[in-house]
Amino acid sequence: MSLLQVQDLSYVYSQGTPFENTAVDHVSFSLEKGDFVGIIGHTGSGKSTLVQMLNGLIRPTSGTVLLDGVNIWDKPKEIRKIRFKVGLVFQYPEYQLFEETVEKDIAFGPTNMGLSPDEIKQRVIDASNFVGLKPELLEKSPFDLSGGEKRRAAIAGVIAMDPDILILDEPCAGLDPLGRDVLLTQIYRYHEQRGNTVLLVSHSMEDVATVCDKALVMNHAHLEMFDTTQKVFSQGEKLRAMGLRVPQITSIIDSLSVAGVPLEKGTLTVERAVEEITEYLKREGRL
Amino acid sequence: MEFISVQNVSFQYAEEENSQQVLNDISFEIKKGEFVALLGQNGSGKSTIAKLFNALLVPQKGKVFVDGMDTADESLTYDIRSKVGLVLQNPDNQLVASIVEEDVAFGPENLGIPADEIRERVDEALKAVDMYDHRLKAPYKLSGGQKQRVAIAGIIAMRPDCIVLDEPTAMLDPKGREEVLSTIMKLNKEHGITIVMITHYMEEAVRADKVYVVDSGSFVTSGTAEEVFSQVELLKKHRLDVPQATELCHKLRACGVSLDRLPLTEEDCVAMLREVLL
Repeated sequence: MSLLQVQDLSYVYSQGTPFENTAVDHVSFSLEKGDFVGIIGHTGSGKSTLVQMLNGLIRPTSGTVLLDGVNIWDKPKEIRKIRFKVGLVFQYPEYQLFEETVEKDIAFGPTNMGLSPDEIKQRVIDASNFVGLKPELLEKSPFDLSGGEKRRAAIAGVIAMDPDILILDEPCAGLDPLGRDVLLTQIYRYHEQRGNTVLLVSHSMEDVATVCDKALVMNHAHLEMFDTTQKVFSQGEKLRAMGLRVPQITSIIDSLSVAGVPLEKGTLTVERAVEEITEYLKREGRL
Repeated sequence: MEFISVQNVSFQYAEEENSQQVLNDISFEIKKGEFVALLGQNGSGKSTIAKLFNALLVPQKGKVFVDGMDTADESLTYDIRSKVGLVLQNPDNQLVASIVEEDVAFGPENLGIPADEIRERVDEALKAVDMYDHRLKAPYKLSGGQKQRVAIAGIIAMRPDCIVLDEPTAMLDPKGREEVLSTIMKLNKEHGITIVMITHYMEEAVRADKVYVVDSGSFVTSGTAEEVFSQVELLKKHRLDVPQATELCHKLRACGVSLDRLPLTEEDCVAMLREVLL
């Protein structure tokens, strides 16, 4: 049985008014334990609405979300429990810090789960390790941290609940290139070590290509593609028509392949491209 | 001729002796009609530099001149701001009216310009960013890239000589990023507007005439895009990156593939590699 099954899910904003707008239109897919999925799509394609339905923040107009085979809206009064299992980190989460100290802020989720003080303490330490927050920062006020540190603290607050599924909406927006790399690597390591399912909503095709195994493509409220990252990014024309792109490196290798150099289409990273080109040159006896 | 001149500027946000110096004695000039990119890691001081250009911030030490006007002279603030417009990261925070064309008219209205001239300026500005057909729409119905272009139109309607953009594409999807960047290029090339753009996207910075790299309040390097992006290791040391096209060729070179220079764009890279590989 799949960890999460999304069946025929739709969401309509302002239903029955002149402003009626279908944000998610009959979407179905399943996620397995340990999947690392990138969600891409143009602005307004329905990505954020979709992920908000996955943790019960908004209730679908029709269709169901099954977590471990159980409809998350079976017992509406217990929907909070779902939010401990499916953790959602919003865009610019640093604006949501509110506690007196970083430690209290990260502990907010686990405290509400009713865990013991020792367990909470351990979870705060583990979560701050995962996102690379130095221990001495835990005593500080969140408002004395730098932008990047605040973002890490906010992400740690969700990781501390140890959700089965972690959803991050544009976690790297506004970070400098190294900041992006470091944060992505930490998220990747979290995924590897815990074996948890991670969903990454992103406008950066490069980021999705680098860390995700699968990519889910939304277009005008519809699910257009859901496949391995390589298969998705080998369909450059189709993505372009949806206002998306492929990573620059993928596009370079595709053009060379079309020009007659025997290289693999859908190459996702610079490292892989270097390997392919040097292997080709060695085979040809030119390197 | 220089349009903006920054002379030995130091800046800190708090007045206290021991508070952190954000800019350390920097000097540089931007010529009329130039397209300048400012790069730097988070907290390097690049946004602070941008805010010096329209007198949002005035340096404690040193001078900033815009078209010969001293930004420290408060009686000139209005004139300076009508010459240098600022576009920020989040388009939602910059649009105020409920209809696109009214939003674009907000600036000229506040400059006290006669109604028929406002009409003319608004139409011209919306055409310049290719949003004229959307003039009667509500801003909330637009995509991120379209909203950002409306924000730019609002600046153009004030007929500035220079537009400063602080990460204008950070929140946009790939298509929105292309729309905004090609609008910026057009304003620079066809309308002769001086552009200063702060960005974390190296593919955008390579389009500039001149690139400055800032770290800890000082310039690390500057020059044409080719000069700056050929220093791959230096950029990485300052938490920056190079376009994937450049990185690929840099790494191939390290593996012994002979390439005489590093490309900046995808097209250039494909052309270079075709020659080597085929």
